[in-house]
Amino acid sequence: MTTLSLSLAPPAIVRLHDMLICLSKFSDTVAIEAEHDLLRLSALNSSKTAFLSFACARESFFENYSFTTRQRSMGPGADRFYCQILIKALLSIFRGRVDRHKDTAVERCEMELHEDSQQAECRLAVKMICGLGVIKSYKLTYEPASIQHAVFDKSRAVNKWTADPRFLKQITEHFSLSAEQLDMYSDSGKAVFTSFTTKVMDGKEVLKYPVHTSVATDKRDFEQFNVEDKMHIAINLKDFKAAIAHAETANATITARYTYPCKPLQLTYDFEGVSAEFTIMTRGEVDGDFAPASSRSGIRELSQRQTPGAPISVQRDRVSREATQNGQMPPPPPPPGRSIKPLQGSSTQEHLSRSMASERPTASSLSMEFDSLFVPADDDRQWDEMNEEEEEEPQDILGWDASGRADAFAATLRDEEPGFSRNESKTDEAETEGMRIPPTQRISQVRGFGIFD
Amino acid sequence: MRFRTQLKNTRTFSKLTASLSSLGKVCWMRLEYDVVRFTVIPDQGTQVWAQIPVDTIFEESSYQLESNSDAVNIEINISLLNRALRSTMGASSSQLRLTKKDRMPLLALTVLTTEWTEGNMALATDGLVERRPAGGSATPSDVVGDRRARERETWITQEIPIKILHEDVVESLHEPHCPDPDVYIILPNLMQLKSISDRFTKLASTESKGQQQSITVAEPAASTAGATALSTNAAPKLELSANMHGKLRLAIATDGLRISSVWSGLVNPPLDPAHISEDRTSQLPSERMRETGDDDEAGWARVRIDGKDWGRVLSVGRLSPKVVACFINNTALVLYVYLPGTWNGEESCLTYYINSFTA
Repeated sequence: MTTLSLSLAPPAIVRLHDMLICLSKFSDTVAIEAEHDLLRLSALNSSKTAFLSFACARESFFENYSFTTRQRSMGPGADRFYCQILIKALLSIFRGRVDRHKDTAVERCEMELHEDSQQAECRLAVKMICGLGVIKSYKLTYEPASIQHAVFDKSRAVNKWTADPRFLKQITEHFSLSAEQLDMYSDSGKAVFTSFTTKVMDGKEVLKYPVHTSVATDKRDFEQFNVEDKMHIAINLKDFKAAIAHAETANATITARYTYPCKPLQLTYDFEGVSAEFTIMTRGEVDGDFAPASSRSGIRELSQRQTPGAPISVQRDRVSREATQNGQMPPPPPPPGRSIKPLQGSSTQEHLSRSMASERPTASSLSMEFDSLFVPADDDRQWDEMNEEEEEEPQDILGWDASGRADAFAATLRDEEPGFSRNESKTDEAETEGMRIPPTQRISQVRGFGIFD
Repeated sequence: MRFRTQLKNTRTFSKLTASLSSLGKVCWMRLEYDVVRFTVIPDQGTQVWAQIPVDTIFEESSYQLESNSDAVNIEINISLLNRALRSTMGASSSQLRLTKKDRMPLLALTVLTTEWTEGNMALATDGLVERRPAGGSATPSDVVGDRRARERETWITQEIPIKILHEDVVESLHEPHCPDPDVYIILPNLMQLKSISDRFTKLASTESKGQQQSITVAEPAASTAGATALSTNAAPKLELSANMHGKLRLAIATDGLRISSVWSGLVNPPLDPAHISEDRTSQLPSERMRETGDDDEAGWARVRIDGKDWGRVLSVGRLSPKVVACFINNTALVLYVYLPGTWNGEESCLTYYINSFTA
């Protein structure tokens, strides 16, 4: 039995509305995660290259907040509640409800949620208490889900800058509307932002090539700027703009942290009891200097050692190339190579349950690939010599955390239990990094021995 | 091949490219020693040939051009150029040059903007004060930014992909030849003309839609005829006519409505005697038209033009130019668009060639 009830004052309602708008730029659904002292709203984009989370503190953001849960399982994740809701549905409640000049302006918003394993109904009740005694009640359907978190290790992020979103907006305004990616680097006192597009162009249509815009600003225009010189790092411009736009409405100052290309970048800011984190995958040239144990070597090891891993990376790369053509960042492939040098920085709790079945990108084709994670498809390519193209691939392999892998199990093997044991075993495996032994058996052979059932 | 210049009057340049881009995306830009020519020839609709003296948009002292053929011909997406020129707003200097990157020719626009920052005030410090160091990470004590008031310098580079056209390719492109005009007249304020034209076009298109529906209900037999007539003539056509007595008429006629607007007291500018000899002048069709009486319909020259296309042509009004319209009866309308400040001197002139549709 889980109960969540909270109420919001008008300023917080406005903030919540802004947050939902920002979340809707990443995903159709918002994941809601309740804990004793905070409520987290998060969204992961369909290509799994950007993860956005707003953690709203119990004390400062809400008027009232109470959360109780009593779950039978006593795992480390038992003191939380997860669900997801269509953002559109939530947004429609808040749209146009904040006009204070009307008599019936909203005075308070109350939300309540009761989850009982005996009851099949999943409803979030929202009450808008308005002037003149008007009460508007809504019941929204939510889906039970388990939340994925992008993992980002702030302590390892050696590069850091802080700036006013309005200043960053001035920069992005020079970019052409069709620009998709943003490259950042610093050089001799200058911070340079360049927009580009990865679209593959037909050689004849030179005039349809995108304009490259670069804006060089003084480092002193940043509140803080501590970045390795001449290291290029690229992110999706749309995600960057979404963060700027929201930080501007929240009147907060953005801080960016990153390590090196192909590792995530995090944009953070805090306002009125909310801490916002945008974890965005980056691309760029991985230089040996920056990434001694880079994915480049990882891939090679994979194809030699980890038989099951290789075909999937090949397949996913194909997907990623398609996605790039569609103007999106490629989805991060489940990176078996990542476990060699994973990005786990935060607590293990965050790894526990990332089997968010509905977050799976369009089912059938991918689940086939997931199958082949264990039973290698007949793909001879894994034995081929690494060709140049594949050597470039590490650039597109995004260092998402182990979630992709956990997903894979969720897709095919998960029972109705949130699959903790499954994932835990995986996490453990990932944690004993160095000692890891590549699987030598097919999953079908392993079945029946308990742990994988 | 070399081209490099500082820009001046970037507002004019920006407006010029905006007007050109309304007609078509691809623009042939020809850089010569004294003039820059812009030509847009869309697959359909009006074509425009513009000739701008170098010093109208470029800083003449910095203008460098080197080419074997005395001209550089490039093909450029004019709307990309227009968009890039937006970065020059409030710029302290802007430079345009021809360059190459990865063997791709580019037109690179480099803009330096300087603006005054008031140090801490300009960059929201209220956010900074409220900030709580997340997770005990470093507080912004190691600030490198200079928080004092100073001039903020920003360099913006816009690299626009272009195609270099060989002289052979552009040789075959010629400005259209037109017969002598029957009537020439200075157009009234373009803003007014555009708003009336757009209104007429809109009325006609909504009216014809409504008409189609009502016919379908009332007379099934007539509806088929009406529908075919509409499908062949989908876009409403404006009838523009003028005489040599300072009158211009804008009209539109559909099955259901007939509206017209008449301007009078406009100027029929005299022809430059330097170009046309005395006896040739008397043979010109426009002189015959002038002899026709003010109230005689025979003294009017008419063209039928596409309402939407006309609206796009009139977008050149943003440059607040003087426009001489030359009517060639039932054949074409040629507009000579002179940018302000160049009426008599060295001319910045855009020439629009608009075909007349048959009735």
